[in-house]
Amino acid sequence: MDEYVVEMRHITKRFPGIVANDDVSISIRKGEVYALLGENGAGKSTLMSMLFGMYEPDKGEIIVNGKPVVFHSSNDAAACNIGMVHQHFKLVDNYTIAENIVLGMEPVKKKFGFLPWVDMREVNKEIQELSQKYHLEVNPTDKIEDVPVSVRQRVEILKMLYRKAEIMIFDEPTAVLTPQEIEYLLEIIDGLRKDGKTVILITHKIEEIKKIADRCAILLRGKLVDILDVKTASVQEMANMMVGREVDFNPYKSPANFGKTILEVDHLTVKNENNFEVVKDVSFSIREGEIFAIAGVSGNGQTEIADAVAGMMKAASGTITLDGKDVTGASIRERAEAGISYIPEDRQGTGVVMDFTLQDNLALREYHKEPFSKKGILSFDKFRSYADELIEKYDIRSGQGRETIVRSMSGGNQQKAIVGREIEEHTPLIIFVQPTRGLDIGAIEMIHKQILKERDRGAAILLISLELDEIMDLADTIGVIYNGQLLQTAPADTMTSHDVGRYMMGVKDA
Amino acid sequence: MKKKRHTLAHLLDGRHASVWVSVLAVLLTLLTAGVMLLLMGKNPLIAFRSFLQGCGMLPKANYGGGSGMLSDLSDFLNYMAPMLLASLAFIVGFKAGLFNIGIAGQMLISGFTATVFIGYSKLSALPARILVVVIGILVGGLTGALVGFLKYQFNIHEVVSTIMLNYIISYLTGFFINNHYVDMMTRTSRICSANARLTLTNVMIAGVKCKLPIGILIAVIMAFVVKFIFDKTVFGFELKAVGQNRKCAKYTGVHVGNRIILSMAFSGVLAGLAGVTYYLGYTNTIIPKTLVGMGYDSISVALLGNSSPIGSIFASIIVSIFQQGANYMSSMVNVAKEIASLITGILLLYASCGTYMKMRAHMVIQRDIDREEEEKK
Amino acid sequence: MTKVFTDGLSFAMPLLIMAIGAIYSEKSGVTNLAIEGFQGFGAFIGSLIAIILMGTMGQSSQAVLYIAMAFAAVGGGIYACLHALLCIRFKANQVISGVVVNILAVALTSFCTSLANTKINGTMSNKFILGVSTRFTIPVISRIPWVGGLFKNMYPFEIIIIVLVIFFWYLMYKTKFGMRLRACGENPQAVDAAGGDVEKTRWAAVIISGALSGIGGICFAYSLLANFSPSIYMGYGYLAIAAMIFGNWGIGTTAIVCMIFGLAKSGGYQLCIFMGLPSSYSDLFLMLPYVLTMILLIFFSKKNHPPKAAGEAWDKGKR
Repeated sequence: MDEYVVEMRHITKRFPGIVANDDVSISIRKGEVYALLGENGAGKSTLMSMLFGMYEPDKGEIIVNGKPVVFHSSNDAAACNIGMVHQHFKLVDNYTIAENIVLGMEPVKKKFGFLPWVDMREVNKEIQELSQKYHLEVNPTDKIEDVPVSVRQRVEILKMLYRKAEIMIFDEPTAVLTPQEIEYLLEIIDGLRKDGKTVILITHKIEEIKKIADRCAILLRGKLVDILDVKTASVQEMANMMVGREVDFNPYKSPANFGKTILEVDHLTVKNENNFEVVKDVSFSIREGEIFAIAGVSGNGQTEIADAVAGMMKAASGTITLDGKDVTGASIRERAEAGISYIPEDRQGTGVVMDFTLQDNLALREYHKEPFSKKGILSFDKFRSYADELIEKYDIRSGQGRETIVRSMSGGNQQKAIVGREIEEHTPLIIFVQPTRGLDIGAIEMIHKQILKERDRGAAILLISLELDEIMDLADTIGVIYNGQLLQTAPADTMTSHDVGRYMMGVKDA
Repeated sequence: MKKKRHTLAHLLDGRHASVWVSVLAVLLTLLTAGVMLLLMGKNPLIAFRSFLQGCGMLPKANYGGGSGMLSDLSDFLNYMAPMLLASLAFIVGFKAGLFNIGIAGQMLISGFTATVFIGYSKLSALPARILVVVIGILVGGLTGALVGFLKYQFNIHEVVSTIMLNYIISYLTGFFINNHYVDMMTRTSRICSANARLTLTNVMIAGVKCKLPIGILIAVIMAFVVKFIFDKTVFGFELKAVGQNRKCAKYTGVHVGNRIILSMAFSGVLAGLAGVTYYLGYTNTIIPKTLVGMGYDSISVALLGNSSPIGSIFASIIVSIFQQGANYMSSMVNVAKEIASLITGILLLYASCGTYMKMRAHMVIQRDIDREEEEKK
Repeated sequence: MTKVFTDGLSFAMPLLIMAIGAIYSEKSGVTNLAIEGFQGFGAFIGSLIAIILMGTMGQSSQAVLYIAMAFAAVGGGIYACLHALLCIRFKANQVISGVVVNILAVALTSFCTSLANTKINGTMSNKFILGVSTRFTIPVISRIPWVGGLFKNMYPFEIIIIVLVIFFWYLMYKTKFGMRLRACGENPQAVDAAGGDVEKTRWAAVIISGALSGIGGICFAYSLLANFSPSIYMGYGYLAIAAMIFGNWGIGTTAIVCMIFGLAKSGGYQLCIFMGLPSSYSDLFLMLPYVLTMILLIFFSKKNHPPKAAGEAWDKGKR
């Protein structure tokens, strides 16, 4: 008979105000790759956080290797040989790779026979050996802040291996990788399976499940929908179950109708705080009715391009021309007035003031102008009517309408508020950076429709995204950035996602 | 029936949560102080009553010649004026996301400057008083602006720069006072002229000698000005945005550096006004190399008043009662008057737990709601 | 000249041990403005014990000093629990908490000193008279020209502090505890995921911070002031914080900064005497470390790297 290595029975977990998991039961066999499929917020991560001991379930039981267990902390889970790679890596930036791997499990030597001592030289050697054994090459003495995302992920995997984990949980591991890196990761996971490890894969990407998983549990709003055998289930079937209704994979995109050039970026170079060139000699232009998308692995300078165009960062050299006017030296507000809207990457950190009301946040682009204020005195009547208008138009849902404190709103509705506020300016240029990251499919659909609508209105759109699918779906023109340089710029229909992926890795002649 | 449960939690989670937190902090403080007094074998009720009597809020058993309840009350207002101004100074910085913990220093430098230039001059009353206020505004404002500038231009945290400035100002003014302006008898600076003081002394009201503090007028007006600026103006809106999320403010197009400097300058102006009302009105002399405790006490006032300007009027009344009534209380129940500072400290301690109280209340109520939902099922 | 070194060192050492206390707290992710309060409260407990012991062991017994130091550490550590409670458990604003703890320390110790004095000797005085610790000179090395002054007329506590500094350097950089502590200040989530206990580590760090500050406080009481009174709150705790910032949160660099502060103070004072200025001019020299810090921060603050997570409450539930 089947030997279950993990069983979770009738798990219920609630957080103040929401039920994250509602009577969920899953059983996982030894040596399989088990996928948890569901939208953002479906409760996949919460379920696995309980298996990893970060929360305790309100109801239900967890059985590992046939024995019921109660985990009070991740230490307890680790003692049962369970490991987890979190979506946001849990690494200390200014520690070395080796230090990060052993943190929490530091081997202690006695110096002079009595002084406890963490011998890093020994540790480095040990990590080197471990990484070679599993073909996860890293340099143990590199600092985390100096290595790219894909290496950081390797460090997280090594952390599990160092702890002798037999059951490995991966939370959305491919979100930050290029197609090629994804393939490499899937190979690693396959290798782990061959070594007899059990892998649990949390994801919302069905293709990956198709490629690697044996079985798949589908969660929807905290409830278990079904458990499928991946080999026999169809992609469409899984997608419908995940969303709870029929999904249309291809948003309708009308044929392009380009007008005059709106944004002209010429030989732009941008330096960061440490005086390091993060954007190097980049040139491109966007016309009316064009979606220009910049594809690239996170941290290759794409957000800095957006910041430089919007005025958040200074251009070290080069020019930015908006609708024929040089705005290189203009202030942020001057540029906004000249016709730039900006949906920033960090929506909670930059896009909204979390402790302001929705009404105040919706007025952030207008408050200093009439009729929102006169002679420096705010007019709250206008604030209120404008907020109500936008809430209605962009379907922004919240507890107490315009009076809601933005912090208490869901991420999707926060983003809708930002998108609504920015689009409502109807500027000639709109910059979208990672507009749909972490949102559920409903919100993604809505935002994609808005982007296309603005394009059809005749706006020039700069779209920056780490999601290659999003870029392939929406872009008219694609520029691929690597290490601060635009390696390739071409019409979207002349490139496949694999071509883009290769440029993203820095391969010049694909 | 369910509603009756956790009344306190509902108060602390409701619309006026912050007010209830402050009320609770005061009650807990009185309770703690009461227990302490009991342990020392004193009657807490008598002690609390004598605090109020000392501030002219309850009649004393007997009064010295020419003085009465009104004189005590005017003394109290005279003390409260700089306290309120100082707490407003903290609030202005705090709303813009800046910790001005250099209020004592800013008070000292403006009080010192006004004393030296006007307090020792022979100017007549009206111009002298106007100049004192102007100096308070200018010197305080400039000191504050310097802190803002250092933060914006050189990324020096305002907590660090204000602390450093506190001691620099304290030693520097101490040096000048000891060398030029010292009164050999008292070892403090010479008394400033009556013309320059922001408090009219020996005014006869209803047959008793009173002090008429102009400062309290300035302070209350400033409280409403601060409220107006933060509630109704573009400038205040921008300051709050800078305070809550500097990055978002920048993204919106606010000139963040400029606003940081302006808000610190504004905070400094209020601290400067507190300084001149304190040193030219309340004490009329300066103890060299000493930063007034009021600089920090004002933070407890701001905290207790939930960093709202109107709230801090009430909070400054409460804190001032303990500080100003301490002498009389001490003489009545024979407890060292340092207990006033101790009570203020305890008050501050409870007030600083406000966020935690609200958080707990919210959790209790949320748990009730969840349980009800569960039962419905 | 030797006096400059002797006095400089005796000022720098207590300052350094307090600064290391501050480093421990901040490196673990708890902003600590409460050093001033910790050192005062620690010194109060130490002095109280000393006063009581002096009654039985005699005025001049040196053992009292060491016992007082031990109790100052304990007192500072216990008092630091208040800051830990507010910052870690109650998630109060850490800057505010620091201010609260300082105000309360001043009020509590002044009040209790008067109270204790009435009980012990019937006076209402707010002072415990301690006297100055005896000094000693290390033979041979002290005869080295110039630097020899460092080893002349030393207070015994200086040696103790040097030993403590070395121990706490080792604890911070070479042990499991130190490794986790520093990680808590950079990315507490990482420590939590790796099975470390962020709250416990921070509690330990803040308590260490209080204990070390307490030792610093009692050393000032036994040298500079020769008594315990509210004048112990003359800002040396803040100066220690300045030294820490200036030293960029490193123990070695902070030690150098403390030496500079100490030498600037004693050098200024000696210069003042040498130039025949009245003693009131010494105020200007007392100002020097603060001015120095301000000026140097202008040049270096952009290169400063405070612990990333310092000032943020750690919330396990938050994802």
